[in-house]
Amino acid sequence: MTINRREFIKANAIAAAAAVAGVSVPAIASNLITSSDITKLKWDKAPCRFCGTGCSVNVGVMDGKVVATHGDIKSPVNKGLNCVKGYFLSKIMYGKDRLTTPLLRMTNGKYDKEGEFAPVSWDQAFNVMAEKAKDTLKKDGPEALGMFGSGQWTVQEGYAAVKLMKAGFRTNNIDPNARHCMASAVGGFMRTFGIDEPMGCYDDLEAADAFVLWGSNMAEMHPILWTRLTDRRLSSPHVKVAVLSTFEHRSFDLADNGMIFTPQTDLAILNYIANYIIKTDRVNKDFVSKHTNFRLGETDIGYGLRPEHPLEQAAKNNGKTAGSSTPIDFDEYAKFVSTYTVEYVSKLSGVPEHKLEALAELYADPKIKVTSFWTMGFNQHTRGVWANNLVYNIHLLTGKISTPGNSPFSLTGQPSACGTAREVGTFSHRLPADMVVNNPKHRAIAEKIWDLPEGTVPPKPGYHAALQNRMLKDGKLNFYWVQCNNNMQAAANINEEGYPGYRNPKNFIIVSDPYPTVTAQAADLILPTAMWVEKEGVYGNAERRTQSWYQMVEAPTGAKSDLWQLVEFSKRFKVEDVWPEELIAKKPEVRGKTLYDVLYKDSSVGKFSIDEVPEDRLNDDARDFGFYIQKGLFEEYATFGRGHAHDLAPYDTYHKERGLRWPVVNGKETKWRFKEGSDPYVKSGSGWDFYGHKDGRARIFALPYEPAAESPDEEYDLWLSTGRVLEHWHSGSMTQRVPELYKAMPDALVYMHPDDAKKRGMRRGDLVKLISRRGEVQTRVETRGRNKPPIGLVFMPWFDASRLVNKVTLDATDPLSKQTDFKKCAIKIVKV
Amino acid sequence: MKNLNLASIAGLMAIVLSPVFTSFTVTAADKAEINTVATLRDHTKINTQKEPNPIPKVVNKDIKKARNYPMQPPVIPHTIRSYEVNRYNNKCMSCHSRQRTEKSQAPMVSVTHFMNRDGNFLAEISPRRYFCNQCHVTQLDTKPLVENTFTDMHSLMKQKTANTKEH
Amino acid sequence: MTKNTEDTTSEYHVASFVAYPLLAQLDEVKQAITDVEGSEIHATSEEGKIVFTIEGNSYRDIGTKMDIIRVHKGIINLSPVYHQILDESTGDDVAPL
Repeated sequence: MTINRREFIKANAIAAAAAVAGVSVPAIASNLITSSDITKLKWDKAPCRFCGTGCSVNVGVMDGKVVATHGDIKSPVNKGLNCVKGYFLSKIMYGKDRLTTPLLRMTNGKYDKEGEFAPVSWDQAFNVMAEKAKDTLKKDGPEALGMFGSGQWTVQEGYAAVKLMKAGFRTNNIDPNARHCMASAVGGFMRTFGIDEPMGCYDDLEAADAFVLWGSNMAEMHPILWTRLTDRRLSSPHVKVAVLSTFEHRSFDLADNGMIFTPQTDLAILNYIANYIIKTDRVNKDFVSKHTNFRLGETDIGYGLRPEHPLEQAAKNNGKTAGSSTPIDFDEYAKFVSTYTVEYVSKLSGVPEHKLEALAELYADPKIKVTSFWTMGFNQHTRGVWANNLVYNIHLLTGKISTPGNSPFSLTGQPSACGTAREVGTFSHRLPADMVVNNPKHRAIAEKIWDLPEGTVPPKPGYHAALQNRMLKDGKLNFYWVQCNNNMQAAANINEEGYPGYRNPKNFIIVSDPYPTVTAQAADLILPTAMWVEKEGVYGNAERRTQSWYQMVEAPTGAKSDLWQLVEFSKRFKVEDVWPEELIAKKPEVRGKTLYDVLYKDSSVGKFSIDEVPEDRLNDDARDFGFYIQKGLFEEYATFGRGHAHDLAPYDTYHKERGLRWPVVNGKETKWRFKEGSDPYVKSGSGWDFYGHKDGRARIFALPYEPAAESPDEEYDLWLSTGRVLEHWHSGSMTQRVPELYKAMPDALVYMHPDDAKKRGMRRGDLVKLISRRGEVQTRVETRGRNKPPIGLVFMPWFDASRLVNKVTLDATDPLSKQTDFKKCAIKIVKV
Repeated sequence: MKNLNLASIAGLMAIVLSPVFTSFTVTAADKAEINTVATLRDHTKINTQKEPNPIPKVVNKDIKKARNYPMQPPVIPHTIRSYEVNRYNNKCMSCHSRQRTEKSQAPMVSVTHFMNRDGNFLAEISPRRYFCNQCHVTQLDTKPLVENTFTDMHSLMKQKTANTKEH
Repeated sequence: MTKNTEDTTSEYHVASFVAYPLLAQLDEVKQAITDVEGSEIHATSEEGKIVFTIEGNSYRDIGTKMDIIRVHKGIINLSPVYHQILDESTGDDVAPL
């Protein structure tokens, strides 16, 4: 034994020195364990499982286990770096409480909504699910069925889910958790440009002279992009960084101009900058006249609350016209923003005038290339689409767009919020490639590609995320499947909406997850799920980069991928179970077939043979179904976008590349869209071409500052903002199970200004209660942590399953994007 | 902890291999555990809440922790309260930079930190590595809620060599 | 945290090194290394970098052997890379560096 141990550590010593010297130790010389198969580590690439940055990581596998991960040196995104979460990817699959069997609430061996969770087989689980789905269909029709998916689904999973829900069950009640995250960005893109997703790319980080962060704490939430920004700032002294937020956070450490503004006044600051550009005569008149036009947007559009809420009763235009606008000219626009003077906006926002001027000058100076970044501060905003529109305004007025370093850049939260949620269109109103269900032409295109009869896809947009919880509570949505997210922890106002909704006796709730989450705890059936490199998939990151990975390890026995679950479940339904006779009559050959046959196996999804899966690769899903299902789903999905400015490369290409940025035309990726020379879709001679709109012009919107849905008053005297932290991914269901990450940030504390604490007789570490009109949560006070809120505002992150801050938050949404504002509600804090 | 202070390069090359000889039998969580699904909530119902623990202290013993695999960034074994790391100052570097380690006896930052995006070595720490806390974190004195069954590759190798040589 | 411990025979030490010799004296350097008891060369790179280990029973033992090699006139630089101790009296391993 001793000899073995000696040999073992000696082998380590040799390996270490050999690595330093850059030599490989000949097997014969090492004559130790280095010489045998025992030390064999198989390395392969995969995109990181966490944020929308889309770093590539190398994953080391030994004996069927992931034993190491590190940043992929070949990836242009991260060039060998990872953040602390990324470096611990190896451990996320190995929490001891991985789920390995379906769990159903039962009493005396039968399903009971009030029963305790007990293990059942997959067959039993699907039996109960199919029975519940069929009952619901019979009783209340397809609109009582729904699904809540994810920007963490693979592209194939999202596409399979869209097909199953929109074409199979014929309901548009499918929405992703990206609704909480990116919907306002989507709304902004569609409104201004008529086509979704950023025109620029990460290469802007090395080209810009100035960066402006609008409600984005990149230092914690996009750490690898932050390393690139830091690199640029510190290696080029002329580069300036401006950071705007409602509280001071880690990104301020690099700020040349850090600005704390009163919540919601970002709208006024944006209009002030436009006004400054006009007043100082720095409008790029040539660009503006050739490539833009001006619109006056509808105002007083409400707050996306329930219709009976007093704020909705008071709002004038919260109906269908909320997103409408009328054409205006430049002079009318200039007049509209002229009221946003530096004096007025400084007073409103609390930002000193000289800081506002310095900020505006970055945009106005034609010699400075500016990149604007934003994330949840803009998107989780009851005027989120407006905020997106307004930042595009200032880039368009100056023509600082679509060229290296000039980039209004919406950062994505999730690894495939762009790839799966947006490009695939897993939203309740969308179809793939930016198409929408309420457009008959778009439905016809989808039905043609899917080889399904006309009228299969229902025209009415389904329930979006916040509405799904309300409809569950109201008993209108009765069969509900949640995959790849933790919405009982993530959604706002779970006390009044989410929790009563899931526990409504009329409803049957299924939650698929690798781990028992808060959402699983609220479910009726829990399905154990394979994750990340336990399956094959594709993610699409924030710069339009599509990346794939192979399955590298087996999932724990009993756990199945989301894809397998969706497709296997479809076998339980005959077309007759779900479609009306008149629809079947249009295509009689589907009679007697299952949804599995019609949607997957016999469609173009099924046309790639299992032999195309490389022999030495795991692919449990494909081998189980007997065809290369991931390739089939990807290729069918890709037909939606090819030739329509969303071109994807052939599937196999992505297994070789470290990702490619779409549109990929003639094998070439696109770095900057809408600019002649870099985007193949731009008409030659045009310079710029915003081809998302028929007239090739981007829209500049006149939109005002309007107040937040709920502001502090005498009783609820503090603003509450929630958000994420560096060490945890979203709700922490993976990262809280990695001991090093847990110990780095175990608990969600409430960060407050020391004076606010003192005023309430509180000190650091005190046990307190955060109380809103909707609920309360207990935690401890932090007055000296990494976040430094101003007086009057507190911050509490939402990663902590044991301290659910969303019992307190308000489910007000942007009426246009339906995205919840998690950054603003009124609370009070009392000592316990 | 016994330790021979061989040149700092050792700790820094990010190749120091750290065998962790712990038991690594991976057992599926037992059924009783599965039944109480609220593993991160101390088995508390959603509509109630347990009293939050006091804020744990930062582990400040200055004893290095073994890494899970060679490329893992080491955790910080000391408190970093009121350390300034901003545009003007980087307090971490006052001990961990190459020039300071002789005096401080702190480990020097890994040589990888001198490489720029293109893999070329710079004379000083690469600005892309400037904010240390993006990878290196302190540890609070608290017990993880859920055990992690991650297996160290060297435990796997060791087990196999033992198996092949003992019969 | 550097702590010197007394020599003890219940410890097994192994340290690895990379030696950078003058190419002209490569063979002499290799000979000098192998002359030291408990040392073993595992690889030599094309540029002449030598990867070797020293085994011993104490810090001092390793240190002494290292010094014999280090002072060899053919060596430009000697980089210690790794050192680990196996405490065989208790059966516990001591974490490296």
